[in-house]
Amino acid sequence: MRLTDASVVIRPRSAWEAVDLGVLLAKQHAGLLMLSWAIVTLPIFALLCLLLWDYPSIAVLIFWWLKPAYERLPLFILSNALFGSTPSLKQALKALPGLLKPQLLASLTWRRLSPTRSFDLPVQQLEGLSGSARNQRLVVLGQRDAGGASWLTVVGVALEIALMFGLISLFYMLLPAQLELDWSWDTLISTDTHQWLWLEHLSNLFYALVLVLWGPIYVACGFTLYLNRRTALEAWDIELVFRQLRQRLTGVAYAMLLSVALLFMPVADNAMAASEAAPVATDPNGPDAPRLLKQPLTSEQSQESITQLLDQPPFEHRETVTRWRFGDAPEDPSAEDAKSLDEWMKKLADLAQLWKSVDGVALFFEVLLWTLLFSLLAWLLWRYRDWLNAFAGRLRMPQVRRYQAPEQLFGLEVAPQSLPNDIAGEVERLWAEQPRAALSLLYRALLSRLLHEQQLALKSSDTEGEVLQQVHALQQAELSKFSQTLTSHWQNLAYGHQQPHAALKDELCTGWRQLFERGAQA
Amino acid sequence: MTSEHTPDQPDNAIEPAPASPEPVSEAPVTPAAAAAPAANPTAQRQRASQLAQALRAELQKALIGQTAVIDDVLSALIAGGHVLIEGVPGLGKTLLVRALARCFGGEFARIQFTPDLMPSDVTGHAVYDLKTEQFKLRKGPVFTNLLLADEINRAPAKTQAALLEVMQERQVTLEGRALNVPLPFMVLATQNPIEQEGTYPLPEAELDRFMLKLRMDYPEQSEELNIVRQVARSSKADMLEVTALRTLLQARDVLALQKIASDLPIDEQVLDYAVRIARATRSWPGLTIGAGPRASIALVRCGRARALLRGGDFVVPDDIKGCALAVLRHRVRMSPELDIEGLSVDQVLQQLLAQVPAPRL
Repeated sequence: MRLTDASVVIRPRSAWEAVDLGVLLAKQHAGLLMLSWAIVTLPIFALLCLLLWDYPSIAVLIFWWLKPAYERLPLFILSNALFGSTPSLKQALKALPGLLKPQLLASLTWRRLSPTRSFDLPVQQLEGLSGSARNQRLVVLGQRDAGGASWLTVVGVALEIALMFGLISLFYMLLPAQLELDWSWDTLISTDTHQWLWLEHLSNLFYALVLVLWGPIYVACGFTLYLNRRTALEAWDIELVFRQLRQRLTGVAYAMLLSVALLFMPVADNAMAASEAAPVATDPNGPDAPRLLKQPLTSEQSQESITQLLDQPPFEHRETVTRWRFGDAPEDPSAEDAKSLDEWMKKLADLAQLWKSVDGVALFFEVLLWTLLFSLLAWLLWRYRDWLNAFAGRLRMPQVRRYQAPEQLFGLEVAPQSLPNDIAGEVERLWAEQPRAALSLLYRALLSRLLHEQQLALKSSDTEGEVLQQVHALQQAELSKFSQTLTSHWQNLAYGHQQPHAALKDELCTGWRQLFERGAQA
Repeated sequence: MTSEHTPDQPDNAIEPAPASPEPVSEAPVTPAAAAAPAANPTAQRQRASQLAQALRAELQKALIGQTAVIDDVLSALIAGGHVLIEGVPGLGKTLLVRALARCFGGEFARIQFTPDLMPSDVTGHAVYDLKTEQFKLRKGPVFTNLLLADEINRAPAKTQAALLEVMQERQVTLEGRALNVPLPFMVLATQNPIEQEGTYPLPEAELDRFMLKLRMDYPEQSEELNIVRQVARSSKADMLEVTALRTLLQARDVLALQKIASDLPIDEQVLDYAVRIARATRSWPGLTIGAGPRASIALVRCGRARALLRGGDFVVPDDIKGCALAVLRHRVRMSPELDIEGLSVDQVLQQLLAQVPAPRL
């Protein structure tokens, strides 16, 4: 790198000026940059579209995600072009595989969303730094121009979106009116129609085209920001002036050296031996010596009063200013000499590193704040639990809840423990004096069996008819028939107040024994 | 639109068990409860439910599929309530009513509700007769047994309100005179849920007077095949014929059916169940407005009618639960949160019904 070969005027600029310079730089090499960008990105885009034809949004997401990989080529071109040796398209493309290798994974993963991407890229690509060296370097570089770089990215996002929508509306405006009339927006919006996939791919293509324009400019702006920062840090402009000076004076320098040497030669010849060295004593008659000692005003007194006068206003204006200062503020670098400046820079870098390691206190507060947040959330959930039960309960994923068999159904005890062992016998015993109790016991026993043996999910809101429907769904002919008979008799008794006739007793008890007790014995 | 009636009213006293024999019906069942003496309520009840079931079978011939809607319309007829039928065009709302009118020997009138319909077009008004030089009362189409109010939400509120009195009190006040409408009186209103432009949603008071609000949904595939087959054969362009239906019952048969249904025994527990369902709508978090006491009454009456239609001798909780949706869905208002989430009233009501315990004995 020879600064004298630089094709731009190197001088310290503000961040915005540097960005402006980047745009000019990109404009100067626009053809090469955009062509190479298009050659790299458009085939990738086409490949992604083909592979992910059914998922246009995923295709464009991947294409967008790979942006850091495309940005290396423009930087290569720009960095070479800046110092005169603009590569040809072929050379640039040949260099691409080598450019992609270093730290590609990092660029595509945790550094992908960094807002200062284009500003950081030269550090890793041109300086070849990685790991903590890169971090330290970025800390130093980022002290001034990182803000500008972040804004560059933000503006870039807005520009990309605006340009893309601009392209889309341009495309729409160029449609012939006849075609536009037939345009059915409903089908365009509904997602399940596959015939509009190509349209989505088309709008993705607009994004790719926008990037062809904006991608190189973004890289160029980041690059000039980086150059600007280095110009400031390493005083390139001063170096450049010195170099120019040297270049200009290289011819006359020897002559001047000779003449200066000649000029001083005779002086050296006439030198005499030094006389005996006498200690330089203060001159008793010098201006500082006390004089006028016999006068009312001696010179010492007058000097004292002069000093006093000079110490007072208007010669001296003193005031006490009290203000807060950071105890550990870095010392003023101007007080240091050039050698310790380097040391100081290192300290500054250390300080920046320290900021990251001094997180002990910050961590405490972070934990505290998070705890507060979570407890607030928990409190809110508890406070509005009724409301959430009513409205948010249905938002949950339908989960297979283990059905808890109710102990009571229609006000009847249906737990197996609450029933006698020999149900049919008990029913027969009860039938004579308390037919209602007998039938109730039988129906209760049936429900209990349905709940605990057939694992029917009966709720207390189920009516008899709904229970029957569930029994029919089991498709057990005998059980269905028995349940039907029993339910109808139970309803007759319970709601119709009709006493069951005696013959029913044997029928039901036999049916019960056949269905359940035989099964239990088997 | 208006039809001329003689000023004198038909006899509107309820005849519990009309003694005269059946008119036209040559139904497979013995003509209804009419002939039965009051002494044997069970036999009377059986005959009544046979008649109701025959009517149902007849209606199902005209309206293929939609058995639930037919059942509900019949239970409203038996319970003496009015019905609001809602459904997208072309599902046979009007066809159902026409078929019912065909099977029913009484009078039938139809009002097509339009934005310029006036209340007097519905109830009637006085006109000056030049010959007699007197005002003569001209009765509106409401003086009938079955009234089809087609597309009721197309008329403005004042016209809809003309139906309020007649629906609740079965009488019309014209020129300061209260005139009774013939009994049985039943309003069957239809409305279209999708086309809301230029319509006037029914006010709450009007909605509350409808015993049931029925939803007609698209038929099943096999049923639709059947419909298409029949209509394609029909001589009229795209209409199902109702002329083939037989007249099964007369006005007094309906009154008798209503009387029998209202005598149907209902257990205290079942009554309590109906009231609990109606009360639950008032405190349910998903509903901003719950159903009033008319809902409980309608639940019980409709439950009785369903029991009769089912052929039962008494009302069971299933009868109440079966009609709960139709009774409640127009009497409640859903909370806006659930509305925004896209839940329908039916879904919310079904959640509610799943929470109200069935009768405990």
